[in-house]
Amino acid sequence: MGLDRPLEVLTVCGVGMGSSLMLKMTAEQALQALGVDARVECTDVSTARGKQPDVVIGQDMHTSELPDLAPVTVTISDFLDAAGLETALREKFTAQGWLP
Amino acid sequence: MTTIAAHAGKDATDWRAAVRQAAEALVAAGAASADYPEACVRMVTEHGPYIVLGPGLALVHARPEDGGNKVGVAAVTLTTPVAFGHPDNDPVDLLIAFCTPDSDAHIAALSTVAKALASGLAERLRAATNDDELTTTLREALPSV
Repeated sequence: MGLDRPLEVLTVCGVGMGSSLMLKMTAEQALQALGVDARVECTDVSTARGKQPDVVIGQDMHTSELPDLAPVTVTISDFLDAAGLETALREKFTAQGWLP
Repeated sequence: MTTIAAHAGKDATDWRAAVRQAAEALVAAGAASADYPEACVRMVTEHGPYIVLGPGLALVHARPEDGGNKVGVAAVTLTTPVAFGHPDNDPVDLLIAFCTPDSDAHIAALSTVAKALASGLAERLRAATNDDELTTTLREALPSV
């Protein structure tokens, strides 16, 4: 799949209204830096299970519960590290053929 | 307008005490009801220490129905850091607590805090030596929300 549509990105945490919202802001910053068109939504782990995103981002304690939800899963511990997230996303997007 | 509260250099024996102090600041400011601090502690015991979202930084909160009356943001710094049991981000010396009356009202304030954290707010909060400085620093990060 190429990038012919905006990517659906989920940021996840336990409740879906605090940490994942912070991570959403960081993810939007990282995706913008990558020049990738994306729609980012924050949610809790249970709600995430009912969705079909392209990308899931969260802490290990949550992404490990969603192993097969998306073609790309990124596990990070620092939700404010946009540069680190950008690097991780670039690597995975390139492997998917979503970035050159 | 977001209700702001801040306490610098608090002493907390463990993460529970630290979470209660951060949430109590919201209660004292009139943004949350008296049950809110214990709900914030329960959030961690039920869902794990994921609220520690960066090195040394915990985002304390519970659900709107747990006692959020207004949108409020509080910052507490600790003299002695406490462990939450987080695999990477322990120990914690800065807690940011928030409360909200519904699942949307806090989004503008929290997004603004996230952007400020991305440009060094955590360091500025940690550098504050008293409640007034900490309050001013937090207020500067939330000028229009």
